[in-house]
Amino acid sequence: MSVSYETLEVTRDGPVGWLIFNRPSAANAMDATMLDELESAWRELDSDPSVRVIVNTGNGRAFQTGLDMIQLAKDPEALREQSRRTKRSELKITAWHNDVATPVIAAINGVCAGGGLHFVADADIVIAQAGATFVDPHVSVGQVTAFETIALAKKSPMEPITRLALMGTHERMSAQRAYQLGILSEVVADVDALRLRAQMLGEVIAQHEPQRLHTIKRQLWSALERP
Amino acid sequence: MQYSKFEHLLVERRGAVGWLINNRPDQLNAMNALMRDEFAVAWNELNLDADVRVIVHSGTGRAFQTGVDVTEIASDGQGMERYRDSVAEFDLHFTSWHQGVWKPVITAVNGICCGGGFHWVADADIVIAASDAQFFDPHVSVGQVVAVEAIGLMKKMPVEAVMRMAFMGRYERMGAPRAYELGMISEIVDPPDRLWDRAQEIAETIAKNSPAAMAATKKALWGALELGLTDACRLGAQHLVSMWGHPDQTEGPQAFAEKRDANWNLEMGATT
Repeated sequence: MSVSYETLEVTRDGPVGWLIFNRPSAANAMDATMLDELESAWRELDSDPSVRVIVNTGNGRAFQTGLDMIQLAKDPEALREQSRRTKRSELKITAWHNDVATPVIAAINGVCAGGGLHFVADADIVIAQAGATFVDPHVSVGQVTAFETIALAKKSPMEPITRLALMGTHERMSAQRAYQLGILSEVVADVDALRLRAQMLGEVIAQHEPQRLHTIKRQLWSALERP
Repeated sequence: MQYSKFEHLLVERRGAVGWLINNRPDQLNAMNALMRDEFAVAWNELNLDADVRVIVHSGTGRAFQTGVDVTEIASDGQGMERYRDSVAEFDLHFTSWHQGVWKPVITAVNGICCGGGFHWVADADIVIAASDAQFFDPHVSVGQVVAVEAIGLMKKMPVEAVMRMAFMGRYERMGAPRAYELGMISEIVDPPDRLWDRAQEIAETIAKNSPAAMAATKKALWGALELGLTDACRLGAQHLVSMWGHPDQTEGPQAFAEKRDANWNLEMGATT
């Protein structure tokens, strides 16, 4: 049943489905193809009953660095549909956007920049390797940051998020500080340990009854919908 | 721009950074009625000054702010009555949030911050503190109720710590290291006398970013405090789209590609 993807790697290991950003030469930036494929990949994994937990990570040195600025500069037409979706707040790039019922673990393998923060904000559990960093360059290149930092501001102490948003390219948050603030719950030594640990957490969670996990996830996220 | 003459505040511009400094050091910068009125004017003037891209708020002496001037309240016969209408109507004008300031605001906490002083911690975008800063909320120890500033803080940081301060009153103080751990502040400056230099440095760094993009970002983010997640994102999308077509949106990526500083458009969007 596996579809083939150009910019993602979608695999299964026991009860754990893996959604892996796979444009390492572009720091896993999202081009138009990846933006489309993300919607298909989340749906594929969420609708597969053998997948009890989804792990989201990246190949190469970066986790995810947001919208592909090179494509935006050279071929903005390719991103027109995404602009329309942004305007209407109808993005389909994260698990939350796609109403994924399955628990999602984000495993941050390296730098997570700008739109990459969507996948931190919209995951249920976040772990990182020790060298991972978080940065939001939007305002340094004349852009506005909204959805991803709004969601983070609701889930973490807010001041460090407004600081991240206003500092732009000029400051990074370390994995250790993100751990201290409760943006993530575990820091491991390196990328190998990160993948092992994510798989292990996935298998632990997968022991629980899937419908119950879905109900809990839906109810807890609905708490974020109140002012 | 020429600022008004203030009795209890120092207001000045250092480069792109506007400074608003509480200046009643002998009263630990407690806010009397005059200072309260001066705040409204000072925020408005710094907001309107096109040369000011970022605002720093701090205090002189051994306290940042200690809230309402209790001596004035106790001695002048009017007491808190003078504030009844404005508080009951929530018609306040002494913080940047009250005054609709969409430029980035950094609060630099020197020494003691207590009681009403938390208004400027809750309502800033970035908060840093000197290593000897101390936080506590004496309201209940002097028969007063704390509401607005603690509510603002509770939405921005772990709630238990705020409730504990509200109930412990003057009998317990929180140090800068704990405030940092909790994400109430994002940096501790040591030694304490480097606080203003560091605040200026952070402000100048932020001033390199697009003023219009930062104003729209600030509006989007503060919406997170008013609305549920989906609604806040919908409102955020409007602020995000409001920048489309703005010259900074093309200047930013171009400057980045050419490895030079961006020339931001300062005419549009910074104050409204």
